[in-house]
Amino acid sequence: MTAAGVRRFLTRTYLVLFFGYLFVPLGIMGAAAFNTSRFPTVTPWTGFTLQWFPALFADQRLWQALGTSLIVAAGVIAVAVPLGLAGALLLNRLHSRARTFLYAVMVSPLLTPGVIVGISTLVFWRQWFGVSGGIFLTVVAQASFIAAYAMLLFLARLQRFDPSLEEAALDLGASHGQVFRRITLPYLMPSVLSSALLAFLQSFENYNTTLFVRGLETTLTIYIASKVRTGLTPAVNALSLILIGLTIIGAVVYEIMRRREAKA
Amino acid sequence: MSRDVQLDRVTMRFGSLTAVRDVSLSIGAGEFFSFLGPSGCGKTTLLRMISGFMEPTEGVVRIGGQDMRGIGPNKRPTALIFQNLALFPLMTVAENIGFGLEVRGIPSSRRKARVEELLDLVALPGTGEKKVTDLSGGQRQRIAIARALAVEPSVLLLDEPLSALDLKLRQHMRAELRAIQRRTGVTFIYITHDQGEALTMSDRIGVMRAGVLEQVADGQTLYDHPATAFVAGFVGETNRFTGTVAETADGMAALDTPAGRLLGRNPRGLGVGDRAALFIRPERLAVDGDGPNRLTARVSHRDFEGSFVNAFLTGPTGTLMVQIPHRGQSDPPLVPDTDATLTFRPQDAVALPWEGE
Repeated sequence: MTAAGVRRFLTRTYLVLFFGYLFVPLGIMGAAAFNTSRFPTVTPWTGFTLQWFPALFADQRLWQALGTSLIVAAGVIAVAVPLGLAGALLLNRLHSRARTFLYAVMVSPLLTPGVIVGISTLVFWRQWFGVSGGIFLTVVAQASFIAAYAMLLFLARLQRFDPSLEEAALDLGASHGQVFRRITLPYLMPSVLSSALLAFLQSFENYNTTLFVRGLETTLTIYIASKVRTGLTPAVNALSLILIGLTIIGAVVYEIMRRREAKA
Repeated sequence: MSRDVQLDRVTMRFGSLTAVRDVSLSIGAGEFFSFLGPSGCGKTTLLRMISGFMEPTEGVVRIGGQDMRGIGPNKRPTALIFQNLALFPLMTVAENIGFGLEVRGIPSSRRKARVEELLDLVALPGTGEKKVTDLSGGQRQRIAIARALAVEPSVLLLDEPLSALDLKLRQHMRAELRAIQRRTGVTFIYITHDQGEALTMSDRIGVMRAGVLEQVADGQTLYDHPATAFVAGFVGETNRFTGTVAETADGMAALDTPAGRLLGRNPRGLGVGDRAALFIRPERLAVDGDGPNRLTARVSHRDFEGSFVNAFLTGPTGTLMVQIPHRGQSDPPLVPDTDATLTFRPQDAVALPWEGE
């Protein structure tokens, strides 16, 4: 084999291994949703069935948990996106030390382990305000670090923003509020959407922070984790398969929209 | 509201740096005034103080006699045309032009009529529904002007708006700007480092250097009667001879320079022994003429420019530039690698104080 041939061979092998590593577990997990076995497994393959999907839809507690997850996610979007936007706008106008300091404060929840974020939120609210765990605290705890993600997205877009557009609007007589509504916010709209999506995904899949602040509420991730203890059935695989399907559809739709926008 | 602009001892400091130093000036209503100077001379800072984006450290800006201290850019009767135009990319042409009216709460039917009017004024009728990104450089330029004029400013401020255009378009837009200014009667304050732009468009020009307003005059006065060595060197081409004043009499001065004793006007009243520089324009130098001012130099090369020829000579003071009109003579003077004698009339040259560079 030539040197180029060896290189090509190695590259291909690496790619196969890499994508295998990513997708084989998902494939096995998905396939197990169609196995008649009572446990989520593909070996032994006891026969093909669709029974786990009706079983999934019959699980009332799961639907309740999904509802809780969606409520929490909506709350997190409502808190984290405006907070991230405000932080990014402020950071963009500050200079030197104040900027470095505020940036560190805003980003530190990202670097803090989720467990710590959860515990400290609970301790803080219970001791100072007498608020115990529940949907409210779950939203607060998740938003405290998801806002930082949103802020980073806004900052990235603001970096390409031409500040003379705001000055031009101001010069033409617009108030600061009008400048924000008519110039800054429309420019940031794509980031508002993408940070809302990111906030949703982050909130929806969150486990370790939620665990401490949920009180008596059960989100979907908490419910699935509890099933691991009480006995997992392939219904969970069926649920995962549906979620994967929705994710892929979402990604495809997003990509189509992005390409259309790029063309326009 | 009256449209005149007054700067009263305006100073702007950034920390230890003084960007604008003690500028006092009165710009008349309906005047086309240009600030001319190299980059970093403080002209943009001056413009931002007039438009309200900056407050002077000292001094007062008055527009129509009204003190502008504490009045923000959105409350001033000025409109600024940005160097990069700053057209709103997410809005159509009509939305851009109508923006100033929209934020003033003017109903859309009246807004529409006004936008049409302005599109006619800038000779772009029917383009209202286009996106600004679909327009050419010159068209974007005009939309920016229309957008600024829509709010009926008393004063239009222009920050080197032509610098991004190519030469042909730039020359065309100069005439266009001048015509729009005459039609609307709005006071134009124009900022540029391009003396050609300043000279062709302006009623008066203020030449700035290092935050100081060096001279305010119409273009011809700046060219023929510069008040400082900087103005003489910055506006138009010139030849400079530095030396010491040897004699003065009747408004004239004689300088001892490396090229010999040279005579010129003495408008600033230089005294014997003062350091000075004598300036003479390339087109005022004659080949083999008469008079007391004579220079000998070696011709290094000639550039044929069509209606004239630029010749460059090497003399005792460095390179000399001579401009000779071309009238079809088959045997032009100043052949490269020959010596030539240049003369000039003392009244064509000006001696000015010189501190060295």
